[in-house]
Amino acid sequence: MAGRSDFTVSIKLGIGQYVATNSFFHRIDPRVKIVIGVLLIGAAVSGNSLLGLGLIFFLIWCGLLVSRVQARLAFITLGKMLPYLVFLALIQIFTVPRFHESPNVLWQWRILIVTGQGLISGSLLILRFSVIMLGLSLFSYTTTTTQLLHGIEHLLRPLQRLRFPAHELALVVNISLRFIPILAEEAEKLMKAQASRGADFGIGRRMGFIKRMRRMFPLFIPLFVQSLKHAYRLVEAMEARCYTGGRGRTNLINLRAERRDYIALVVGIIIIGGLVTAGLFNIDAFVWRIFNTRV
Amino acid sequence: MAGSGVAIDVKRLFHAYFPGTAMEVPSLKGVDLRIEREETIGIIGPAGSGKSTLLQHMNGLIRPRGAGYGDVVVLGLNLSDPSIDMRTVRQKVALLFQNPEDQLFERYVGDDIAFGPRNLGLSKAEVRERVQYAMDMVGLPFSFKDRITEDLSGGEKRRAALAGVLSMEPEVLVLDEPTAGIDPQGRRHLMEVLGKWLSRAGRSMVIVSHTMEDIAELADRVYVLVSGQVLLHGSTAEVFSSYGLLKKYGLGIPTAVEITRFLKKEGFEIPPGVVRVKQAVQSIQGILHGRKI
Repeated sequence: MAGRSDFTVSIKLGIGQYVATNSFFHRIDPRVKIVIGVLLIGAAVSGNSLLGLGLIFFLIWCGLLVSRVQARLAFITLGKMLPYLVFLALIQIFTVPRFHESPNVLWQWRILIVTGQGLISGSLLILRFSVIMLGLSLFSYTTTTTQLLHGIEHLLRPLQRLRFPAHELALVVNISLRFIPILAEEAEKLMKAQASRGADFGIGRRMGFIKRMRRMFPLFIPLFVQSLKHAYRLVEAMEARCYTGGRGRTNLINLRAERRDYIALVVGIIIIGGLVTAGLFNIDAFVWRIFNTRV
Repeated sequence: MAGSGVAIDVKRLFHAYFPGTAMEVPSLKGVDLRIEREETIGIIGPAGSGKSTLLQHMNGLIRPRGAGYGDVVVLGLNLSDPSIDMRTVRQKVALLFQNPEDQLFERYVGDDIAFGPRNLGLSKAEVRERVQYAMDMVGLPFSFKDRITEDLSGGEKRRAALAGVLSMEPEVLVLDEPTAGIDPQGRRHLMEVLGKWLSRAGRSMVIVSHTMEDIAELADRVYVLVSGQVLLHGSTAEVFSSYGLLKKYGLGIPTAVEITRFLKKEGFEIPPGVVRVKQAVQSIQGILHGRKI
């Protein structure tokens, strides 16, 4: 049976939706959130502790619950990604054994070998992605694009001395983020208009990937044309209000960090530091050993 | 077939956007609406009253959520039934969105108009015939089929878009603000085309517009939708006689009605049921004749 909301593209994009519940997470200085976010992505990508990543996953989940945003939505988005992640993880699982000197073989069938190391790296891949996705969701649910813009601009301001276009970069990021829901809405409208003329997007039915992509093709052209039109209109609207770039521009909002923000920053850094340390000192193996000796 | 005299029957329809989330917005709260065959319905209502959502239910772009959320029955087909072929429904009920010229996507005008018939799986000759018929209907010369879509003027693009849905040969035409954003000549022309289309037997139309004159010109009956509910419905003349209520919700009445209302207030005899300019002119002529005698 076809889904009831056949064409709602916008809801499928869990990222990029601000949910105003004004929780603790909403009130943290955006700069702190950006710094922690970047550190988190770095730590998640380089971290190789399953325990650490699992713990962080749990903490972010708690964060989603505490901030009273739609934790369910974040998980729906994650669930949609899961098949791809599992596919990538499977590739990892079956290819990693070739690169280990002393593989711990758990299962073997002809050339297919599953080793402990393979399983670990597969799970790591899934966990890393999940942590990043969920972290980004938490960030975007609790931060308005305006806050993000100000955060980036403030953070990059010291670089302006070196002629780095901090303001412009922040603006570009802001506009790109703003365009995501606009494009999603536009795509939805086009799909509906074309479906009204008998187009079949294979929604709710099985359809080959190539065929599905071919059906999508008539969407891309008007979508592209319209985003260009949007962009031109935006430029005109900005110029009509005397926008000339970052030079000499003052801010309505000046970010000032409060005690809360420093505490959040310190706590965040400690947690991420913990993750990095867990990876460096191979905590997983340590815990595993303790667990085994007890039993 | 249940009720062959009914084109579209909307029964106690409920709808909400983002159901089950913090962003849930109810948009339709138990709407009842019926479109008879060979009838034209006008739907008016302030912005955000659920008009577009309602229209999208009429060709199954949005389907009722389930039991208790109401039903939409199109030409005897209940859209809640998951086994019905939506393409049949969408061929019979053509929906033209707001600013349809933004939704043209083929390089050549003819290809864009042929999009619908091709999706119906018609033969090349039949597609050609349909395109010719539709272009003739909207007053575009057949030679325009080889023009580049982007090179058309705004009004021509709108006509091409209309041709794109007429080429499906629907029985019901559903229009969302068909005259918004085009010049007066374009509007007059469009109204003529719609009138001509309606003149063939068995055809029904639903038209949403903020231009009350459009509604007065075409509609037999009018529904007033306010925050997801039918506030008022009746014949066009009846609805436009409730000036106070319409004004309260930010709506208006056609100029012809406004003029005759004024004349009536001044004590002139105006026959009931005047909503169109032509009718207003006739009744004013009647007054002038009466004076002379």
